[in-house]
Amino acid sequence: MTTQTPAILPERGLADRLTALFWRHPRLLLAVLLTPPLLWLGVVYLGSLAALLLQSFYSIDEFSGLVKQEFTLKTYAELFRAQNLDIIIRTLVMSAAVTIGCAVIAFPIAYYAARFAKGKWKAVFYLGVMLPLWSSYLVKVYAWKLILAKEGIITWAAEGAGLSMVLNAILSIPGIGGNSLSTSPLGTFLVFVYVWLPYMILPMQAALERVPASMLEASADLGASRAQTFRTVILPLAMPGVIAGSIFTFSLTMGDYIIPQIVGTSARFIGLAVYQLQGTAGNIPLAAAFAVVPIVIMVIYLMIAKRKGAFDAL
Amino acid sequence: MTRRSLKLAATSALALVTGLTPALAQMTEVGPGEGALSIVAWAGYIERGETDPAFDWVTKFEEASGCKVSVKTANTSDEMVALMNEGGFDLVTASGDASLRLIAGDRVQEINTALIPSWGTIDPRLQNAPWYVVDGKHYGVPYMWGPNVLMYNTEVFKEPPTSWNVVFEEMTLGDGQSNKGRVQAYDGPIHIADAAQYLMFHKPELGITSPYELNEDQYKAALDLLRGQRNLVSRYWHDAFIQIDDFKNEGVVASGSWPFQVNLLKAGGAPVASVIPQEGATGWADTTMLHVDSEHPNCAYMWFEHQLSSNLQSDLSVWFGANPSVPAACTDGRGMQTAEGCTANGLDDFDKIRFWTTPVADCSQGEDTCVPYYRWVSDYIGVIGGR
Amino acid sequence: MTAAVEFQNVSRHFGPANAPVKAVDGVDLTIAEGSFFAMLGPSGSGKTTCLRLISGFEKPTGGVIRIFGQDVSDIPPNRRNVNTVFQDYALFPHMNVRDNVAYGPMVKGVDRRTREAQAEEMLALVKLEGYGDRKPGQLSGGQRQRVALARALVNEPKVLLLDEPLGALDLKLREAMQDELKALQARLGITFVFVTHDQGEALSMADSLAVFNEGKIAQIGTPKEIYSHPRTRFVADFVGSSNVLAPEVTRAFGGPAKWASLRPEMLRVTAADGVALSGVVTGLRYLGAGSRVTVAVNGTEVAAQLPAGQAVPEAGAVVGLAFDPSALHVMEGER
Repeated sequence: MTTQTPAILPERGLADRLTALFWRHPRLLLAVLLTPPLLWLGVVYLGSLAALLLQSFYSIDEFSGLVKQEFTLKTYAELFRAQNLDIIIRTLVMSAAVTIGCAVIAFPIAYYAARFAKGKWKAVFYLGVMLPLWSSYLVKVYAWKLILAKEGIITWAAEGAGLSMVLNAILSIPGIGGNSLSTSPLGTFLVFVYVWLPYMILPMQAALERVPASMLEASADLGASRAQTFRTVILPLAMPGVIAGSIFTFSLTMGDYIIPQIVGTSARFIGLAVYQLQGTAGNIPLAAAFAVVPIVIMVIYLMIAKRKGAFDAL
Repeated sequence: MTRRSLKLAATSALALVTGLTPALAQMTEVGPGEGALSIVAWAGYIERGETDPAFDWVTKFEEASGCKVSVKTANTSDEMVALMNEGGFDLVTASGDASLRLIAGDRVQEINTALIPSWGTIDPRLQNAPWYVVDGKHYGVPYMWGPNVLMYNTEVFKEPPTSWNVVFEEMTLGDGQSNKGRVQAYDGPIHIADAAQYLMFHKPELGITSPYELNEDQYKAALDLLRGQRNLVSRYWHDAFIQIDDFKNEGVVASGSWPFQVNLLKAGGAPVASVIPQEGATGWADTTMLHVDSEHPNCAYMWFEHQLSSNLQSDLSVWFGANPSVPAACTDGRGMQTAEGCTANGLDDFDKIRFWTTPVADCSQGEDTCVPYYRWVSDYIGVIGGR
Repeated sequence: MTAAVEFQNVSRHFGPANAPVKAVDGVDLTIAEGSFFAMLGPSGSGKTTCLRLISGFEKPTGGVIRIFGQDVSDIPPNRRNVNTVFQDYALFPHMNVRDNVAYGPMVKGVDRRTREAQAEEMLALVKLEGYGDRKPGQLSGGQRQRVALARALVNEPKVLLLDEPLGALDLKLREAMQDELKALQARLGITFVFVTHDQGEALSMADSLAVFNEGKIAQIGTPKEIYSHPRTRFVADFVGSSNVLAPEVTRAFGGPAKWASLRPEMLRVTAADGVALSGVVTGLRYLGAGSRVTVAVNGTEVAAQLPAGQAVPEAGAVVGLAFDPSALHVMEGER
């Protein structure tokens, strides 16, 4: 019976020939697989980034609104005008606050999902976290405008619960309060936190899931309290996830231009400034210079994170 | 041509396309239509019966001319300028704060009024208006005009307010509560002109003669007024529908607005009305302008004639709450508008209205004495940011 | 002598109350202070759960656990002076070796200088001087095992728990570590509780051991007692893979009609003539230090271990079997 089967099987066509080709030249397959995405990344993504950078070194003729295509640093100098600096600082503070807010809210949820949720409850968790992402972003933001409005659900609920005093006290805090939640920086913050929360929970949960249960037991075994375990073991090990999540929340907040248009005080954020400068004012150089700001901030942020050892557990 | 050539050599492909085409000479005759026409317009300006079947001034034009109309909606004047700078459009319904910028930027071409049979029917006050006529050359055809009215809540204001002070100065309103947090202002730099107009009436010592021509001192006074207004305004409006929502849900009771929002809110049963207070009002007078590189100039000229002679002027003035550029449209029954309707929309207030125009440095006060528009833009961003 | 650890009718059930999974089911156990105690059993027999009950990672559903006489029902793990060497070592990957070892003192508030000195001392004890600055990821399996050991011992625990600590090591290293652990225990005098499924490891290292089966202790005693006098078929089979003889077979082998065990190394293979027991060789396995021969006697397969050098019969040959009658161990229980 064994004599019937040949030692070398016959080639069955193109698929076998290709398999043989890739087997003899393993790098060829890699090249075939990587070329399209690298082209995409290199030409489309980096290319547009380079074009953006180039634009930021042009300036605009203020009256006609036409771009003067001559190299100048004038546009960057404009960033340091008081009102533009305000925009940058306002955006930075909001992004930081949103990131911290998201992290604080996301951690218990992610921790529960990573440590305790099993089977059905895990599915419920994923569904619960992802569900808000499925509905239109605009619909969510408009819904929040109504929820937060002066004559909206929260005001109504606060009145019903006899908490109007509390709401008014919060709204009277200078800097974050306002006439109503919907027209206050606090409202903008709440909507940002809501919209970007899933982007914090998911990487956090993935990072926490990778922390073996025995690590936590070892910590307790060696005498650590829960708080000590959290500080010295869980947090450092979950840090890459927190950083990944914060990159999302931070950069998404910095780039967003819809939410501050609909909820808040009308004070500009970088995203809104970029949107208006390039879309409605036609000032592409200043828009580009503004757009470079988040990139620079993110680079600095990542460098600090790396120096602080946030990626050591990777 | 040398400037263009230099530019060509120095810059990108985009500039190559736009810079290569020499500025078209004025048209001398209208040939057969090119089959298409693209228009940058304000929302609600170009209706083909899709929003409301009763309002349609496009279908008949397309049938008669064979030019298929496509519309790109813009929300602000700045956006219109940006779109025209980008290119690819034939016409734009530009307001006075955009038109001069388009002319200065060589984005629009001179119009030969002789090729438009109904030109003579245009309101004489508009035929040589400074926001589209430069050096005696016409760069467009008047489309529609209207005032920026003061919209107010009739439950809070038993009597119509007589002054814009309700949105500029803190005060106790008819219902015994402060106006703080209950008024709005327009989220565009041109709102500085509203402040200047208010000062023109209340502080004559500043010597403001036009709200669009402000020297440093006058400009500073206007900004100070707006900084005070910032404390009253919770949120500025730039989107008509968000303002409508704010009047319904956010407790806003007074704001500068357009007849468009007033009409929509009234139609929805909201207790609002509008008025032009004693200080007068700013307003917009829109002009249809033809892009310098338009690919469909014959269709565009056909549209110019259509816009003046058809039901457009009459029905649009009803639809948008504005005034036709052709006064006869109020009375000759070509559309739904009536003489009473035009009066309600402010046809007789023409002299009270100071139309949007782009502030420039060289103004009637002298060369380089007025604050130009780009500073209005950045300073207004500062004011809204609380600076 | 005080008992280091004492279990009184301890149970740990998982799942619903009406159909619980009885991981540990009514275990009574006493571990003497200073002893090297092994918990032996197949996976799922409850030995690891018992270890986790001592450390406090599991709470008993019934019964009482005492550590040095004190009921620990309400004492959380971090307050039990008991330390564990985890099966996967559970070294903190983001800390270097020194910080790992100094972790216990650190959370107890010992100052940096003192705790680092303690850590170095412990690293010396496990022969890892100079490794303090490395990260766990840069160490071999055996080295990680030592770090885990040092990290536990630095706390001077009353009881050291070891959860299959040698399972991940290769044979040679495992044997070396067995000796070292034994020596370390003798030197420190700490009670070691050692979980393993490797009966050879348990027999060679422990002073006494408990054999677990299905959540219960099948037998408890010294290695010698358990090896030579298995109380049940399970113990006989699991510890040293004895020949377990059914009652009628036992009688054929010259014993009473009861379950009995007979160690393969106690059987001698002889010529088939003139012996009471004979059978056909059905299998041969070469073990290096000897061979194992399977002989079918009246339908029952019996394994005999031949020392190296002795002639090995061929498969199919008829051979005789002989043994010292005292080697036949009659068991009390059936299971």
